[in-house]
Amino acid sequence: MTQGATKTSSSAPPGAAGSPISGVGQPRDRSYDVIVVGGGHNGLVCAAYLAKAGKKVLVLERRHVLGGAAVSEQVFPGFTFSVCSYVVSLFRPHIIRELGLVDHGFHVIPLDCSFLPLPDGRSLARFGDYARTRREIAQFSPRDAEVYPEFGLAMSKLARFSKHVIDHPPPEPTSLAPRELLQLLRLGRGYQALDRDVRYLNLKLLTMSAADFLDEWFESEVLKGPMSVSGIIGTMLGVRSPGTAYVLLHHYMGEIDGAFRAWGFSKGGTGAVSYAIAAAARGFGVEIVTEATVDHVRITSGRATGVVLESGNEITAKAVVSGCDPHRTYFGLIGEQHLEPELVGQLRRYKLRGSSGKVNLAVDRLPDFTCRPGPGPHLEGDIAIVPNVDYVERAYDEAKYGAFSSRPYLNVVIPSLVDPTVAPPGKHVISCFVQYAPYDLEGGPERWPRQREAFGDTVVDTLAEYCPGLKESILHRQVLTPWDLEHEFGLTEGNIFHGELSLEQLLFQRPMAGWARYRTPIRNMWMCSSGTHPGGGIMGAPGELAAKAMLKAGAA
Amino acid sequence: MSRAYDAIVIGAGHNGLTTAARLAKAGRRVLVLERRDRVGGLAAAEEFHPGYRRPGVLFDSAMVRPSVVEALGLQSHGLRLRTVPPTVLALGNGEGEGEPLPIHGDEDRAAEAIGRVSRADADAYRTWRELLRRLAPGLRALFGREPIDLVDIESEHVWALGKRALAVRRMGKADLMELLRLPPMAVADVLRERFASPVLQAALALPALLGSFAGPRSPGTMLELLRRECLGGPGVTGGGPMLVEALHRAALAVGVEVRTDARVRRLRLGADGVSGVELADGEAIDGRLVAASCHPGHTLCELLPPGVIEHRFEHRVRTLRSRGSVAIVSLALSRAPRLGPEPVEFARTGACLDDLERAFDPIKYREMTQTPVLDLHVATVADPSLAPEGHAVLCATVLFVPHAREGGWDDASRDALGERVVQLLSRHDAEIGAAVVAKEVLTPVELEAKYGLHGGHPFHLEHALDQLMIRPTPECIRYATPIAGLWLCGSGSHPGGGLSCAPGELAAQAILAAR
Amino acid sequence: MPIPTPFHPRTAALCTSMFWKEWAGYHAVRSYDVSHEREYFALRNGAGVLDVSPLHKYELRGPGAADLLSRITVRDIRKLRVGRVTYLCWCNDDGKILDDGTVSRLDDQHFRLTAAEPTFAWLHRFTGPHDVTIEDSSERLAALAIQGPTSRDALARICDAPLHRLPFFGVTRARLQEVDVWISRTGYTGDLGYEIWVDREHALTVWDAIMAVGLDHRVLPLGLDALDVARIEAGFIMNGVDYWGAHHCLVPSRQSTPYELGLGWTVNLDREPFVGQAALRAERARGPAWATVGLRYDWDEYEALFARFGLPPHVPLAAWRDGVPVYGSDGRQVGRATSGAWSPLLKANLALASVRPEHAALGTRLRIEVTVEYERHQISAIVSKTPFFNPERKRSA
Repeated sequence: MTQGATKTSSSAPPGAAGSPISGVGQPRDRSYDVIVVGGGHNGLVCAAYLAKAGKKVLVLERRHVLGGAAVSEQVFPGFTFSVCSYVVSLFRPHIIRELGLVDHGFHVIPLDCSFLPLPDGRSLARFGDYARTRREIAQFSPRDAEVYPEFGLAMSKLARFSKHVIDHPPPEPTSLAPRELLQLLRLGRGYQALDRDVRYLNLKLLTMSAADFLDEWFESEVLKGPMSVSGIIGTMLGVRSPGTAYVLLHHYMGEIDGAFRAWGFSKGGTGAVSYAIAAAARGFGVEIVTEATVDHVRITSGRATGVVLESGNEITAKAVVSGCDPHRTYFGLIGEQHLEPELVGQLRRYKLRGSSGKVNLAVDRLPDFTCRPGPGPHLEGDIAIVPNVDYVERAYDEAKYGAFSSRPYLNVVIPSLVDPTVAPPGKHVISCFVQYAPYDLEGGPERWPRQREAFGDTVVDTLAEYCPGLKESILHRQVLTPWDLEHEFGLTEGNIFHGELSLEQLLFQRPMAGWARYRTPIRNMWMCSSGTHPGGGIMGAPGELAAKAMLKAGAA
Repeated sequence: MSRAYDAIVIGAGHNGLTTAARLAKAGRRVLVLERRDRVGGLAAAEEFHPGYRRPGVLFDSAMVRPSVVEALGLQSHGLRLRTVPPTVLALGNGEGEGEPLPIHGDEDRAAEAIGRVSRADADAYRTWRELLRRLAPGLRALFGREPIDLVDIESEHVWALGKRALAVRRMGKADLMELLRLPPMAVADVLRERFASPVLQAALALPALLGSFAGPRSPGTMLELLRRECLGGPGVTGGGPMLVEALHRAALAVGVEVRTDARVRRLRLGADGVSGVELADGEAIDGRLVAASCHPGHTLCELLPPGVIEHRFEHRVRTLRSRGSVAIVSLALSRAPRLGPEPVEFARTGACLDDLERAFDPIKYREMTQTPVLDLHVATVADPSLAPEGHAVLCATVLFVPHAREGGWDDASRDALGERVVQLLSRHDAEIGAAVVAKEVLTPVELEAKYGLHGGHPFHLEHALDQLMIRPTPECIRYATPIAGLWLCGSGSHPGGGLSCAPGELAAQAILAAR
Repeated sequence: MPIPTPFHPRTAALCTSMFWKEWAGYHAVRSYDVSHEREYFALRNGAGVLDVSPLHKYELRGPGAADLLSRITVRDIRKLRVGRVTYLCWCNDDGKILDDGTVSRLDDQHFRLTAAEPTFAWLHRFTGPHDVTIEDSSERLAALAIQGPTSRDALARICDAPLHRLPFFGVTRARLQEVDVWISRTGYTGDLGYEIWVDREHALTVWDAIMAVGLDHRVLPLGLDALDVARIEAGFIMNGVDYWGAHHCLVPSRQSTPYELGLGWTVNLDREPFVGQAALRAERARGPAWATVGLRYDWDEYEALFARFGLPPHVPLAAWRDGVPVYGSDGRQVGRATSGAWSPLLKANLALASVRPEHAALGTRLRIEVTVEYERHQISAIVSKTPFFNPERKRSA
């Protein structure tokens, strides 16, 4: 078994037709309308929209591959890992249409099943097949089996409203400007259009914990376990922490998006999504340069006028937009000296606190679960290791005090099963999303590199309890701790969503009250990352909304 | 048969008495029915050992509504308001963190004392109090008045709503942003942003945890803290017992009839709603309306026959969260406790926020923490008559104690809890064990049995974000229920539990406005 | 992934067409032959045997069972006599229908509820104050319907129950080939017919016994396609086709009430509280927003329309359930036909429709959409009495 932390051998994901990268290290010109710092999926979406509107756009990516956290890499020869982000969720359908992404290789294969193996030999698999899912849940609670679709319907009703929220810039409740009031009114009207039951549900969902919310509907801990964890992904909170119920909705938004399913594997790994966006962007004339590290943004009398590369080269632009997280943007690209102390204080209060890690495995055979032996459709979706609600809450308790969970929540997918391009025939890649792995390890985050392999062992041990042959089947292993996510992918404190998705960091407060509309206090300096509304996940929405806000403001 | 009462109030706790007195003052003929043998509910003083009385189970009287004191003339009925909030002694864990830190009610004295521990925290404390003062109008607009029906927002009077919005808007943009940002946050995050001293952080956080099933890292606890700190005043000398005695006298003075040992078995329904009540002994009493100060679940699901309220409504009421998380341990002492250099009425343990969080962790799994946190009240400081001369009564609110303890509660586990409290206290007053004359341990299970509290929760419903915003459910958010003539007036209604009398007063106002 | 019913070994062997569909998670035969015509005529002239095991079945036992059912459903079940079955529906708090089905009173404290949808959780929510146990007997009990004019004679030969004394909507215990069964005189075909309820391990005994005498009485196995035609002739609405249970409706306009569905006759309003009572009371006072009616296509116009294209009138073999708009005489849409069929017996094109009440009077001429050669047209359809087909034998002794 070989072990790798973050080093990669090759970059282009299989299935990506030609490279959308225009150059390495150095852009062709010295002057652009807009420079996008960071070639993650949001930066690329933003660039594509700007170029589509006729702007001359340059994207600068620090790494040798595009995609940021939505990246596919052949870490070990023959095996393509979706290194960080591993499923496509809620990618805005109108972005797919407007940028013509399907023509550039956007291809998402829906996940149909959620599989939950249990330590006692039982298991629960939830499928799109209504009656089959009912029978599965009925093993644990006949009542829950019937309430389950009812719950789904209630969530779907609510998702209509949330869809409105994520597809529009955030409201600004403290402003009295007519345009802002009008937008609030529109939002209010959307709220009024909901029936009373749904509104009550909405208020509860915003304020309750995932566990408490589910308690009102279900009795089986086995069902509530895997349902509750969707509320805490990427967050340093537990399923019993108020405010975590809201993310449960995301699972039901896909249905509202029509033909598009909520969760899916991107063919060729999630990097292929980034490559499709990049290819579309290039089609609109965007220039994309990799291995070009921006040292800082050039700021002259309160205005951004371009960027200075680490190489010392300077490139000018009418506007700069950052796809980095708020910390990197403000403290790294802009620099504290250009900011009011009050704002610096606000920024320091912005919570990032990464809480998750990632273990990617290359294996020589399909994992075989004791509770449901052999291959089957249950392996083709996501596999959750979370036998009950208390399990994941205890995992959180350990993390609160600075230890990674001794028995973490795992979200496991085997993309090679439905997408044979990512592994050699007969071999597979297994992606394990792991929570909790707190950035603030006791003794300091810099202790992570020494804990990395112990962390990896914990994850493999945890999974191996359910599929005993796993350890022997591992050919290669890549372990990413929050420390690695910070250092390799530029995610401050390893937060995969560029900042916690807690109530006080959403909407008009993302990343900060007053600067939630993609603008920054530096004129001509913008943000388009997951650190802005509506937040993280491979959605593309912040990139699109930022581009539209820039175009509307006549920037560049 | 006697003439029907204009109103029957169920429960003679502080809210029931407030509603009754306010209605009677407006000329209504009012009867209060109390299940127990005394009035006062959770606030009444009770003898727990011959010669020793404890002051109910709610010790914080800071939230008492000035408008109730004024409208009912409580001061002429013996109520004495404090002029300055009492000092709270932050004890730490008694494991060598140093001297206990007094947090005085007087801000300058408080800052001075804090400054001895940390210069920066003294300034931070002033800034903090200043912020709380600035945010107070916002909190008052939401929790100092009748509730806003967020579910049926169209039903609100646009003007009334607009006026409240203006009151909030006048706060200035920066404060408004804080008002929007802070409530959903965790007290731990906010206090860590502002203070350096762990003992101070812990002591300031504790009040936010008494009413909710939450630790300091739980989001939303800031709202509870803001409510307590922004709406609270100096409080009542002698606390709950003095408050309910004054309320009782005031109620009697305006003609309220109060019957104790009168348990209501069920509500009687006529053609157009509630027509009265039936007592446990079968006696029927007619009333044009009934205001119930008990838990909404008791009123709506147990006192009414099945099927009368909508299924959806019933489901909502049944899923309200009332997980009791505190025990009350009262000690009869042969001498005053020596918790600090000076005698002190209030004190708190906990050396840092994580102590509080660790005390909270086990309750999530229905287990009892080995390191509970204590909110202490030396009741005999304000009212020496509670104990024989020279003796003392010390009451501890113990966090966090599960109602649904794995394996249940029995004498052994109750005794162990009492012992544990004495042990923890002996870290601060080494000889206290020898001074203990008697102990009373009320776990949430005893609180439930004794006071009829669902889940043993002293605030009826947890003070969680959702249950503070919509309290108890959209159907009866404005005290009226879907059953004509049936009203809610207890802690399960807006703005929540504790010795505020606010639900009682706002319910009375709603009842009077409806006529 | 549907699973087999207890009769699957027999139905699978006979289903030469391989036409199956999923019904509540089970494999169910659509038609045994490629065309269901033979089965349909057997049903109306002899008898058809239909596997209805996928129905959801619940046993409610205990002194509080009648109270519980009275609280949940629109009927006062306490008045139902032992040995009788009643058809009913149940609603949510808003008076919107959730499902319809039957309740049988098997003895004083034992009731059986049948439902199209899983209903265990819903029942369970109301058990609190009632002394009752609920068993989901859906898996345990197999159910077989034998429907048609010869059903009584065939059944009488193999069981000991005095079937001629079993009234319409009666239920009785019986012995059938040494097997204990319940037999109810109920069905979904609008014809003389019975349903047999039996523990699953004896299911095949019952099937074999019926088939053994079947040849003498023209008894054939019946699939769902033929049933669909028969139930439209009988004017029976269907959950998921003619209406949707409120638990499945994303928008309120999709929901229905008993009054809108013509089930007002099942509602006993003035009694102890039941779920939806207040809303139904208000609706009765106000009048329902929709009426469910039977429509008969005007055959002459239908024939003429096809003739314009040089085609003979199209006679659909199977019932349809796609829904088509229905217009008033002024051309404005007044409703929708939710399902329909060509009745081979009545020689008519029939439909069940939901229309605004002012267009619901018998004899009203409405316009219904007909698509011919990919072009949309309208022809007349007349509001007609349902059941369209209502033979004397259905109720007679």
